[in-house]
Amino acid sequence: MAGIGRRGFVKGATAGALSFAVGGVEAVMTAQQARARGVPFRLLDAHQGETLEALGETLVPSAREAGIAHFIDQQLSVPPGESLLQARIFNFRPPFADFYRAAIVTADAASNRMHGRNFAQLAPADAREFVNLMRQNKIEGWTGRPGALVYAVLRADAVDVVYGTMEGYEGLGIPYMPHIPPEKRW
Amino acid sequence: MKNEKVDVVIVGAGASGSVYASVLAKAGKKVVVLETGPDWESSDLISSEIWGRRIKPAGAPILLEGKNPMAYAAQGGWGVGGAALHYYANFPRLLPTDFRMKSEHNRGQDWPIAYEDVAPFYDQVARDTGLSGDAKAEEKWRPPGESYPMPPMKTFRNGDIWLKGFEASGIRMVPAPVGMNSVEYNGRPACLYDGWCHVGCPIGALANPLVTYLGSARSAGAEVRALSTVTRVLTNPAGTRVTGVEYYDDKHQKQIQEASVVVLAAWSAQNPRLLLNSATDKHAKGLGNASGLVGKFMMSHHVASTWGMFEEDVQNHMGTIAVQYMSYEHYPKTSHASAFGSSFITAGFALKTTDLANSRADLFGSELAEYMKRAARNLAGIKTFGEEQPRPENRVELASEKDEFGMPLGKLVHSYDEDAVALWNANLEQGLKVAKAAGATEAWSARGAIPTSHLMGGTIMGTGTANSVLDSYGQSHEVPNLWIAGPSIFPTAGASNPTFTIFALSQRGAERMASQWGTLTN
Repeated sequence: MAGIGRRGFVKGATAGALSFAVGGVEAVMTAQQARARGVPFRLLDAHQGETLEALGETLVPSAREAGIAHFIDQQLSVPPGESLLQARIFNFRPPFADFYRAAIVTADAASNRMHGRNFAQLAPADAREFVNLMRQNKIEGWTGRPGALVYAVLRADAVDVVYGTMEGYEGLGIPYMPHIPPEKRW
Repeated sequence: MKNEKVDVVIVGAGASGSVYASVLAKAGKKVVVLETGPDWESSDLISSEIWGRRIKPAGAPILLEGKNPMAYAAQGGWGVGGAALHYYANFPRLLPTDFRMKSEHNRGQDWPIAYEDVAPFYDQVARDTGLSGDAKAEEKWRPPGESYPMPPMKTFRNGDIWLKGFEASGIRMVPAPVGMNSVEYNGRPACLYDGWCHVGCPIGALANPLVTYLGSARSAGAEVRALSTVTRVLTNPAGTRVTGVEYYDDKHQKQIQEASVVVLAAWSAQNPRLLLNSATDKHAKGLGNASGLVGKFMMSHHVASTWGMFEEDVQNHMGTIAVQYMSYEHYPKTSHASAFGSSFITAGFALKTTDLANSRADLFGSELAEYMKRAARNLAGIKTFGEEQPRPENRVELASEKDEFGMPLGKLVHSYDEDAVALWNANLEQGLKVAKAAGATEAWSARGAIPTSHLMGGTIMGTGTANSVLDSYGQSHEVPNLWIAGPSIFPTAGASNPTFTIFALSQRGAERMASQWGTLTN
């Protein structure tokens, strides 16, 4: 180990890049850049992406712009053993996409019962009230995974994209101080 | 496909497996280590909580049940180095009372060995891997031993700020012993205190297996085969000896690795799973399971976390994930009038943004955004680890579902009993008193689900098949050339972080194996 360098040692940092398909070509960029460029989802459909963005934004402001839907979509497309999603830490069984798809269906069903529209179409105050009830398992007729678990996982994903990046640390004024910095400041 | 027979095949390249590999390879044995995950290098350890998830479990899941399911995926490892690639390197030791639970309190069971049997190996591990701390300060609570090879780590305001509160509560805090370099040691550099320990320390200041035992094992000729998933331990027709293991390689091809000795070092859930899946007509209940105790007595530590918001900037981005201060003041098992079990008190650790967010898991939206700004400057925490008593109903068993290799999944059932809940609550109440006395402007307990930290038990040691699976070295009572290593051999949990004890017991077991080699191979 004597030959290993100190902070700033960058070997292996290429593993930190996220790969998105742009016009049939693989390109490396952040989830925020992928969203800004309108990169098509790999697995999610437009409604699922829109709903994840709406849930993410309600949970953590700026999650939409930070590319939460593109982050989740990209990570759902890689082998589970390479996934960086919080679903892994929650001990979910792959495919992790099952969790997200089911959560979106359940949230929409509950939202329609409560407000007559899908979650992504809720006014911010209604979305906030919905998430607060979901967090406490207080939405009547909720099916599938408990609302509190959906809250925990999606909140953790949103925290990742907003606060887990080098930009997120900068935004809070926290020195990042990496030994090996993630490529693309991810 | 059959491979050339070796002296020892070790299943798992984590904390315990790496010690066995090092000791036995250096003793001249031909050693093969089979690891189900990838072969990481130090340069793979990116400083990011997001990317750090690559070294968390990703193979066949363990199904989690019970009132308090284990936080298995957060605790476990994936690949060479195992969970010790991302551990916090807190190196407290068990105390003499932990080895005499039955004798002193008529609960749980006694270990078949005493503290004095393990103490020399604590000292040896400290010398071999490097340990920073103040041994003399700890000797208020434990028998004397060798001094630690390095002085204590630096402390920061996020740790120091608690001392007033502990003093007011009558709790003496001392520098925490950690497996990190406070100064350059054995050619490895000193720590930089930037708090990325838990996603893997790429500079080698933290004593993870890549830079300690596994490195020396490889230098001595041990072969590590990554992406190799063991599914069965094989036995001779009489069932009297193990002959090797069956595994699937990185191309998912079935392989046989014959060996004179098999060491299972696959952590507390997988060791029982492998034994149960290795049943034969001679071992109908599972290999080495005449006792019926394989998979039983799974244990965890509950963690009482207290958070405090302070007026000053506590620099919570500085330090290590390991703690700065610790105390055995409430380690005696009857310290709390209302609860039973040891408590291990800690304070001062670096926080990352995930920690900040998780410290108020109820907040979301604009309230969370506002809280994050304050927490980034003013938040600090203390944690008290609490002991769980061993109970047979906390167990690992085989599920009906199977993994990609046709092996039944493991099911881990875990619930805390009333003792554990009472102790957790007592420690939370104590934490709040400390926080208020320390001057926190806001203080709160991390309530909700009771945390499960550290996984122990499942193939416990004891005096014979009436009460255990293994002897004190990890040798099967029934099959002499089958050994088991790691926290699964603990008969009680104590309250201190287990990895130092895992290293020490593994060193003891491996040296025993080497010294008794002739009796194992006859």
